[in-house]
Amino acid sequence: MIELRNVAIAYDGHRVVEGASFAVPEGGSFALVGESGSGKSTVLKAIAGLAPEREGTILVDGAPVPPRPTLESARLMQMVFQDPYASLHPRRTVDAALSEPLAIHGLKDRDARVERALRDVGLDRRFRFRYPHQLSGGQRQRVAIARALMLEPRVMLLDEPTSALDVSVQAEILNLLKRLRAERGLTYLMVTHNLPVVGFLCERMAVMQGGRIVEEAPTAALRTGDFATEYARHLHGATGADLMGPDLLEPESVDTAPMETEK
Amino acid sequence: MSELLTIRDLRVSFPTHQGRVEVVKGLDLSLGRERLGIVGESGSGKSMTGRAILRLIRPPGRVTAAEMTFDGQDLMALPERRMRALRGARISMILQDPKFSLNPVMTIGRQIAEALDAHERPSRGERRTRVRQMLERVRIADPDRVARMYPHEVSGGMGQRVMIAMMLIPRPALLIADEPTSALDVSVQAEVLELIDELVRDEGMGLILISHDLALVSRFCDRIMVMAGGEVVESCAAADLRHASHPYTRGLIEAVPRMDETRDWLPVLDRAARAGT
Repeated sequence: MIELRNVAIAYDGHRVVEGASFAVPEGGSFALVGESGSGKSTVLKAIAGLAPEREGTILVDGAPVPPRPTLESARLMQMVFQDPYASLHPRRTVDAALSEPLAIHGLKDRDARVERALRDVGLDRRFRFRYPHQLSGGQRQRVAIARALMLEPRVMLLDEPTSALDVSVQAEILNLLKRLRAERGLTYLMVTHNLPVVGFLCERMAVMQGGRIVEEAPTAALRTGDFATEYARHLHGATGADLMGPDLLEPESVDTAPMETEK
Repeated sequence: MSELLTIRDLRVSFPTHQGRVEVVKGLDLSLGRERLGIVGESGSGKSMTGRAILRLIRPPGRVTAAEMTFDGQDLMALPERRMRALRGARISMILQDPKFSLNPVMTIGRQIAEALDAHERPSRGERRTRVRQMLERVRIADPDRVARMYPHEVSGGMGQRVMIAMMLIPRPALLIADEPTSALDVSVQAEVLELIDELVRDEGMGLILISHDLALVSRFCDRIMVMAGGEVVESCAAADLRHASHPYTRGLIEAVPRMDETRDWLPVLDRAARAGT
């Protein structure tokens, strides 16, 4: 469904991503992980058609991604951002945010579609005519997901979709994303630094460092720490703080340096 | 005296259209030279507790307490002038994002020196030495060069280490760290916390680590208080967290995806009792 072959991306002539290649099958869920500045979000933007200075091949549904988003590409793929406070227009109601893509694409039945979208993301209809500032963070992220789903895309590009949320709200949104994918056969490409979230939502992952993909692995490797590269093991070790894992059971084992916690 | 900080019945409230709302509802706390973690989600009152200790809550916010004593001094009764002398020198605070806490137009060396000057009168030579030593202690490899740099020239992790240097140079007895690593990369987070931990142990200071991250806090603290809706719902030794009994604490633990995740769905907290999401 998504295929990258030797993709390089630059900002103002400065290369930030080089030689990125991976493929996500239809209905698959793939994660790009890495630290800030590793280029993971840039890859996501390039797939969405938001990074004009790029080389190499990016195919979505078998067709090259246009240099800028088009009506067709918007119907095929949609993006959900990290911060629902920043990604919703503060002066537009939920109803306006959800109706706009329908109007742009000339779709009928707007009223029923908005109602259905709210129901699908688990938002009560009383929220329909509220403004973003009248919603909590979790509710806003639900609206952002609902808006992304208005055009019934087949690909969802998720940029740290739960990083700005409290843990209990994160659990709700992760469940929601998982359910929507199962119900609609969506293809997910997610960017995150949170490895346990990857283990919950994705099947495969690519680890990025300094603009390159250093390793691609099944997310099952997260359970064992069985990565080929030292950097991936380091990243995995640094997140070893998951509850009920060895850290909490044996607090004295915690003091080891991140490089040594795994393997 | 072993108790560093004693709080009884701390209440913080703010006026709203619906009348005064209490965001901290009768908190009790006693802290020695140990590491206490306060955990909770947004709106649980954890940050307000930290601010109330330093008396940083301004009107119309209102703080009351039956007792709030730090090292034998009654914090509630202390005049503002003496409180100002206490902040930084005896109780220090590290905030989330170094980008917003450092002065962008002052070199790092000068900012750290300023923190020292505010509480002591060192000679020029001594000041320079102490700043360099402090930068070395927060593991900055080339302290003289970094001292001449501006905050925008350093990374987030280094910025936070500079903040730590600034907060610890007057040798406070209590450090309050409010989400000190939330704005940092995962791989740097552990480093910064280990650094705070090491310095706190070396100096025999008390630490209050405020965070939403239960796992993180359980790693770096001796004791944990879990707050929800302005109240402490659970208080236990960090090692006993996995035996936590309160449904809210259990909910928080269960809701976090694990590295070895095998569950198909994450349990969610029952929010029927609380408004929102």
